[in-house]
Amino acid sequence: MSLARIRWMATVLGVLGVAGVLVLHWLVFFWVGTERTMGIVQRIFYVHVPSAWVTFLAFGITALCGAAYLWLRDERLDWAAQSAAEGGLIFGAIMLTSGPLWAAYAWGTPWTWEPRLTLTLLMWFVFVGYFLVRASAEDRQAGKRMAAVIGVLGALLIPLVHVSVLWFPSLHPQPVVLNVEEGPTLDADMLVTLMIGLLAFTLIFFSVFFLRYGLEHLRYQRALETRGQPRAA
Amino acid sequence: MPAAAAASRAGLPVLEAASLVRDYGPVRAVDHVSFRLAAGEFLSVFGPNGAGKTSLLRLLAGGLRPTAGEVRVSGIPLTVGDRAARARIGILSHLSFLYGRLTARENLRFYGRLHGLDDLDSRVPDRLADVGLEGYADSPVDTLSRGTVQRLAVARALLHDPGIVLLDEPYTGLDAYAGAMLQELLSALKDGGRTVVMVTHNLGRGLELADRVAIQVRGSFVFEAERADLDAVGLERSYRRAVEGRA
Amino acid sequence: MTVYLRQVAAIVRKDLLLEVRTGERLAAMGALTVLVAVLFHFAIDQGLVRMQLLAAGLIWMTILFGGMLGMGRTFEMEREQGAIQGLLTSPVPLDGIYLAKVVSNFVLVTLIEVVALAAYWLFFGFNYGNDPLLLAGVLGVATLGFVAVTTLFSAISAQTNMGQTLLPILIFPLLVPVVIFGVTATGRIFASRPVQEVEGSLYLLAAFTVVALTAGTILFRYVVEE
Repeated sequence: MSLARIRWMATVLGVLGVAGVLVLHWLVFFWVGTERTMGIVQRIFYVHVPSAWVTFLAFGITALCGAAYLWLRDERLDWAAQSAAEGGLIFGAIMLTSGPLWAAYAWGTPWTWEPRLTLTLLMWFVFVGYFLVRASAEDRQAGKRMAAVIGVLGALLIPLVHVSVLWFPSLHPQPVVLNVEEGPTLDADMLVTLMIGLLAFTLIFFSVFFLRYGLEHLRYQRALETRGQPRAA
Repeated sequence: MPAAAAASRAGLPVLEAASLVRDYGPVRAVDHVSFRLAAGEFLSVFGPNGAGKTSLLRLLAGGLRPTAGEVRVSGIPLTVGDRAARARIGILSHLSFLYGRLTARENLRFYGRLHGLDDLDSRVPDRLADVGLEGYADSPVDTLSRGTVQRLAVARALLHDPGIVLLDEPYTGLDAYAGAMLQELLSALKDGGRTVVMVTHNLGRGLELADRVAIQVRGSFVFEAERADLDAVGLERSYRRAVEGRA
Repeated sequence: MTVYLRQVAAIVRKDLLLEVRTGERLAAMGALTVLVAVLFHFAIDQGLVRMQLLAAGLIWMTILFGGMLGMGRTFEMEREQGAIQGLLTSPVPLDGIYLAKVVSNFVLVTLIEVVALAAYWLFFGFNYGNDPLLLAGVLGVATLGFVAVTTLFSAISAQTNMGQTLLPILIFPLLVPVVIFGVTATGRIFASRPVQEVEGSLYLLAAFTVVALTAGTILFRYVVEE
């Protein structure tokens, strides 16, 4: 993909995404019905679930591109992995703050060691490590490989933590949100709002992703240009 | 070295670089380097810091994946995964690769085991004697002088009788006396029919031993010559021209 | 195969010989293990909490901190005088280097576990249950998983300028399963519960260990290779 094409895509996706988020907020505040048992606070759900979805999508892309990078050593795969991981970190932070805000009311406690909560928190920390390793690697190329290894391991964690927390004998609440996720129990207006949220967040993620990817592309080109100039001996 | 001998009989070069390229991201460290060396040939590669000399040596050692091109040992392409090919290559660097808290003998026995050698009881004392260190077998490496450690490192690099020896700035940190000792040991390499590549920025030392010299600047060989066609003054002049970009 | 095993054995033997000679890693790990136990003594009000109920958790946290301290130096000690380059350019397959380091770290951490169990028995009079064999089995399997992860990541942290500071941030998220199953299993053994109550955790620990060792064996080459 050429740089101009990447920029164009990032812009289009960004404009659509921002429009989507504006519509989403209008719907959340003025249109969608209030959930009966949880009341007004349930509306956080329309931000929380889309950000969770994008977080998993992003970390999935990072793991896949990282594994492919180790195999093929194409720099573009590393740009993609890094760009997705940054998006994942941001949307993960949104998910990890919006979740407890809602849970504090819905569950009566901001945090519980429910499998999905534990899993996402740990994954988020794995990807913090991903960037720490990239930033502190003595050799930039080694940093890319090591980060890719961490990305792959982060993805491996998913099934293990899932099983492990199910087995953990202590607190094991049945999440209330599970009922809402079963399609039929969700009212049509809620479903529409949720779908728009998912779409808008996904568009914004890919916009940021392509912007970030384009930046790496640009840096690479810049470095290639300097290659031609004589180095200090 | 039966394998090396067989290869040279077949007319194949023992060590061959074919259009080697290595990129670190956007940085090109080695740029289309090619050469062929027969058994007993000694190539010295000169170049300023950051010219890609060490990267070239690591490519030749099979420790670095080429971005393009390949290294061939006796005609067989060397791949990073091919651990067995390393048995034919010995590496001497300015770092000794030795463990300070182990004795000279323990270090050599350790490297011997890594190479799967089973005659270590006789081989290790022999190699210590070759570098004049039979009296230091049980001294911890920590207690030895820099020059003595470098001699022990020579014994380490040659322990498994490699047909190819790669030297990475072996003179760094040695005083004049230790440097002369090392020079003596290295000149014996050629006589043993070994193929040697040395990278260094020390023009004098490099020229003394070489059959062929090359100057690497910004990744590529910008100057190559036979030793016979060159004297110290001529090399110095070519080097300056190459580094200043007028080669 | 036998050549491979002999190469691995040579590295293990060298590591242990260095450890016997310098004792640096073991001394630091052992000291930390005992000191953590001392700190727990003062950190927890034993008038409110019965320590025996916390035994498994305390011991596992102690092992984790003590083990991590020593394992963080696994590859840093190879970097002095470039010995790591000697290893990487030798004919030993890269996964052999990883497995050798796993074995020598396993020995170190096992010794630390003995120290930890002794220290807690001495300071708190912990009761370790009536099935020492099962306890050894659980500790062994869990330790192997712990060591498999930490060895891989010590190769990563050694190549950064943050060094060992980075190690806990990288490994703790991945080690949560070891803590969960390890604490559950050892806690039940300490309480002398029937074997059936321990089995489930032990199998999951074994699964974790297998996954960690396999992933480490495959991925190690990408960490050290150029």
